[in-house]
Amino acid sequence: MDAARLIGRRFLQLALVLLLVSFFTFSLVRILPGDPMSTIIPFGTSAQRSALKHDLGLDKPFLQQYVNYVGVPGLQSKGTSGILQGDLGRKYSTRQPVTTFLKQSLPISIQLVLYAQILALVIAIPLGVLAAYRAGSRSDRAINTTSFAFLAIPNFVLALLLAYFVGARLKWFPTAGYEPGWLDPLFDPTRHFTFDHFRYMTLPVITLAVGQVAIYMRLLRSDMIATLQENFITMAKAKGISNRRILFRHALRPSSLTLLTVAGLNIGTLIGGAVVVEVIFGVPGMGEKIYQAIVAREYVELQSYVLVIAALFVTVNFIVDFLYIVLDPRIRRAGSSA
Amino acid sequence: MPGHPVGLRAPGQPGNGEVLVDQDRRSRPRTRWGSVVAVVTLLATAFVSAGVVAAPAGAATAGPKPGGEVRFGLEGETTGGYCLWSSQLAISGIQVVSAVYDTLTSPNTKGKYVPNLAESVTPNADSTEWTIKVRPNIKFQNGEPLNADAVKLNIDQWLKGTLFAFVFNNIDHTDKVDDLTVKVTTKTPWPAFPAYLFLVGRAGIMAPAQINDTTNCTSNLIGTGPFKLDSWKVNESLTVSKNPNYWKKDAKGNQLPYLDKITFVPVVDAPTRDNQLIGGQLDMLHTSSAQSIDKFRKTSGYDTVTEPPGNRDVHYYMLNTAQAPFNNADARRAIAEALNIKQINQIRNKGLFQVTNSVIDSKAQGYVKNNGLPKYNPTDAKALVEKVKAANGGKFDVTFLTTDDTESLAEVQLLAEQVQKVGMSPNLSQVNQAQLINTALAGKFSVMVWRNFHSDPEFGDAANYVWWSKTSPINFPRIDDPAMQTALVDGRSAADADADYVTMNKEMGAGQYIIPGWFVDWTIVSKGVKGILGAPLPDGSQPRFMYGRIPVDALYKTK
Amino acid sequence: MPAVPPDDSRVPGPGEGTEGSGSDLARFAEDSLTPGMAVGQSQLYLTAVMTDGKSRSRRLSLGAWLAIGWLGVIVALAVLAQLGLLPLKDPNQSFTSCARLGPFAKEGSASGHLLGCDSNGRDMMSRLIFGAWSSILVSTGAVALGFVVGGVLGMLAGYFGGKVDTVLTSVFNVFLSIPGVILALALVAFLQGAADNTGGQHGIDPKFILVLALGIVSIPLLGRITRASALTWSQREFVTAARAQGAKPLRIMLREVLPNVLPAMLSIALLGIAVAMVAEGTLSILGVGVKPPTPSWGNIIGSERSSLADSPHMIFEPALCIFFTVLSLNFLGDVVRARLDVRESSV
Repeated sequence: MDAARLIGRRFLQLALVLLLVSFFTFSLVRILPGDPMSTIIPFGTSAQRSALKHDLGLDKPFLQQYVNYVGVPGLQSKGTSGILQGDLGRKYSTRQPVTTFLKQSLPISIQLVLYAQILALVIAIPLGVLAAYRAGSRSDRAINTTSFAFLAIPNFVLALLLAYFVGARLKWFPTAGYEPGWLDPLFDPTRHFTFDHFRYMTLPVITLAVGQVAIYMRLLRSDMIATLQENFITMAKAKGISNRRILFRHALRPSSLTLLTVAGLNIGTLIGGAVVVEVIFGVPGMGEKIYQAIVAREYVELQSYVLVIAALFVTVNFIVDFLYIVLDPRIRRAGSSA
Repeated sequence: MPGHPVGLRAPGQPGNGEVLVDQDRRSRPRTRWGSVVAVVTLLATAFVSAGVVAAPAGAATAGPKPGGEVRFGLEGETTGGYCLWSSQLAISGIQVVSAVYDTLTSPNTKGKYVPNLAESVTPNADSTEWTIKVRPNIKFQNGEPLNADAVKLNIDQWLKGTLFAFVFNNIDHTDKVDDLTVKVTTKTPWPAFPAYLFLVGRAGIMAPAQINDTTNCTSNLIGTGPFKLDSWKVNESLTVSKNPNYWKKDAKGNQLPYLDKITFVPVVDAPTRDNQLIGGQLDMLHTSSAQSIDKFRKTSGYDTVTEPPGNRDVHYYMLNTAQAPFNNADARRAIAEALNIKQINQIRNKGLFQVTNSVIDSKAQGYVKNNGLPKYNPTDAKALVEKVKAANGGKFDVTFLTTDDTESLAEVQLLAEQVQKVGMSPNLSQVNQAQLINTALAGKFSVMVWRNFHSDPEFGDAANYVWWSKTSPINFPRIDDPAMQTALVDGRSAADADADYVTMNKEMGAGQYIIPGWFVDWTIVSKGVKGILGAPLPDGSQPRFMYGRIPVDALYKTK
Repeated sequence: MPAVPPDDSRVPGPGEGTEGSGSDLARFAEDSLTPGMAVGQSQLYLTAVMTDGKSRSRRLSLGAWLAIGWLGVIVALAVLAQLGLLPLKDPNQSFTSCARLGPFAKEGSASGHLLGCDSNGRDMMSRLIFGAWSSILVSTGAVALGFVVGGVLGMLAGYFGGKVDTVLTSVFNVFLSIPGVILALALVAFLQGAADNTGGQHGIDPKFILVLALGIVSIPLLGRITRASALTWSQREFVTAARAQGAKPLRIMLREVLPNVLPAMLSIALLGIAVAMVAEGTLSILGVGVKPPTPSWGNIIGSERSSLADSPHMIFEPALCIFFTVLSLNFLGDVVRARLDVRESSV
């Protein structure tokens, strides 16, 4: 299949999925029985509640509400703005726009996930190469067993352990809180970079990364074991190239693409894991905001957060697919011969 | 905190002026002599500095050093915002209000409400007309002047808030007398009105700009207080900075406040809040957790200041007396006798808090040693439960309503266990703090675990009427007791209301509409921060630490 | 939740081995609209269990026996406890003097409580064994739901292909675009909200809501694997033969395709139970797991997480239970998979 067509189709798929996700979250909120009005104004009269309902546009028909929510120009009700206009709704309780909270919390989660990904790869790649190089040996088995064990530790247990032992007892790192980093000022100019940012992020990042190290390491290991059996490796060795060069220059390359795609997919897992890590470590990112929105029954806020996260995740995967099509010569070759 | 380059490993305490240990130096081998010299130097330095520090502390004639920032850990976030006349602030919110706003009156340690932002609050002969004169030359943080128009605007606005309208329903109208004076006319004699001008710290005087900006009222805090709002990131932090034109001075005439900045950080989980104080991310916090209070009292290096008796917060269980099962007096008596409050206090609070049979504090108006609440008696409770079940088709279902934090959850399981022993069928309903009031209003509970209310040494009416009156919107137990209502109404207007409030107290004991648990010892824990109890009030008396709230105008750092 | 199972287009067929690089990739990629994702997912599945390309012998290793033993013991204890056949203390009874005391406490009376007590003074051993029942029930139930619904949908998509496949895959993709934990959280919140408003005071058993929510989350995952597997098997000769003989689709699916798809699913199911158990723990920490006073390993950790400093036993004991169970399930999942490869390559 032609690369360009593949990319084009993928892009359409992305758009369709996003649309469906928005419809899904929107519907969930609307079909929920119960009255959000009594959440906002518990002491209000029923006349006040009807007025508020009208103000919020919640008395319109279902499909019209959805159209308003998306903000389709031409079809939306007068005076409303939707996603396409950048309006992600307002909190019930304080009427503050959801985008305010997004601006504060999104860069935090992005940095958290990014650092965790980098840390996991930095640890996993050397370990994986080592394990593949010494396949079958004691060190290989040791690495395998340890990583298998780490896979079985739930991330919330690890978070609690780190928070207590490293944070409260050894006092090396703070157990909770956050200071802005390099990405925050880009989203919200009132925030400024602080070096303390890294101290606050250390324990949450380690918690998230540990779970992924095992996965990447094993992937790399099995991938490289197979690669190391191929002819071109034997050739290189015959040519007298050093083991280190073979490992890192020649054998690692084909596997790196796979690693990249898995890393991209894993963003979803990391985002999910970030929820509980953020709550335990008091990091005010998207995960924590989602949790707060759920407990406070702020459903409009919740549906916007879910949509943004889904959009991010789908976009990352789209980029991964794009890179894969572009970078892997075998695909291109296979594609052009098909 | 000063920034310093850190990698992923930064041993040692965080904080100001700490010297980072040089990693390389540590790992290099040292000679023996080197170590000896180092130790001797260290000891010498220690002795010298100890000597310097041991010099009389009173020699500090300059007083507290101005400057510095404090991070104050709070129990929760005020998600509803700070539009004071319409909000339902909890203690965390009230603490923030004390930084940004002033109240017309303030309570002092002598048990009285004295003028604060007001220069004078004078009643007429029968307490139906109150003349309030504010101090001259005070400006709000946005430059607007504090004058009679502003005060009248605030008071009129109180009557528009759904909750405040009830609280202040005894106000008939407010008139401007002159540029600095208003006169409030009440419907009935109201000796307790000065207490309402404080309203446990909720009645901060807002700038007209904040009141009139209805869209942003909840987040646009503007008052006359010692600090002005810098930024508020919900669930993250609320930062206030020094108001250079604050009208209060300390006892020596120095400008208040001392601090440059306060950052309020909501940390719902008490142990996490404690850890943050221990780790240095917080300089002070407030707490109502017995575990935390006990821990910090026993650890050196921390100052703990606990609220004295008189206005203490009460932890109690409210019964829904408007529907089954607790619309039945036998059922109420059964649960009063089934709950073993001592055991709950022992398990959850390590026995530290003072168990009580009444919501009225020991030093408050209406206190009586034994108000008639039945004692723990599971045998009798069982018999009563059988009786109720017989009349009710064999059912005795109890729904416990609490907030969804882990502490409440653990407590309600204890409650469920205790009532199950006498034959009731418990089920647990937990809602988020934001949902709690709504659920209570809808009546979806049999027992609600609640911590609130406060009595008052001077005025029984400071809160009782608002909480227990039949028509009050926050009469969650839906108390409808004619004798009690009479006592409340009479007590509100009487010049000497002692007897009324004792009657009210006894009616509560006899009716068992609420089952009191214990008094909560709100405590401020700090490290390196002094001036907790606040600057003297304009008349020279000391402000009262009440209802978990401290004034923040005189905080200063010692490090 | 880790371990996303395999790709859109195909799983390793017989003789293709368990390594992932080489010409497999090209085949995976060209069949798939999402080459990167396809490769990624297959790799994730393969590496979630131990794999080193070697085939296993027919005898079970010591590790496998230990795993089976642990799982057997906890299931047996849980069931017996539910039936009331074990001499355990009441898991909901508070012993005042034992509150917060661990098994090695020097003061107070922790005697008679082998594993200490929780913060309300309730016996830990009893709560852990009764908790096993909740944890196992919820995780197995969720995977069963996903298995059945996802399996059926996946089979339909894989067997029929075409429009049916497109529609089902799109639905799967929508759900998969929301990270699992977040989807589970949102579903629990909504389902709980719905139950509160309709069920009245004695609403639906919260465990059922959890099973439903976690089950829905697992449906698209299990659906995709079943689809991939069914797709491969549906292209085999014996299916074509059966079709040529005029057999009805339902019969073919049940008799020819399903028996071959099932074993691969078994290994995934074991992994899935482990993931669901951890997910229940995550939801409990966030306050929406199994509702107390019913204990589950997750909600014991969730309720007592503040007490790690003072009474660490309350966290360590359930955490170790989860750890060993997940370890055992992962190990067994690998063993089953390895067995399958042996079986498949001998076909």
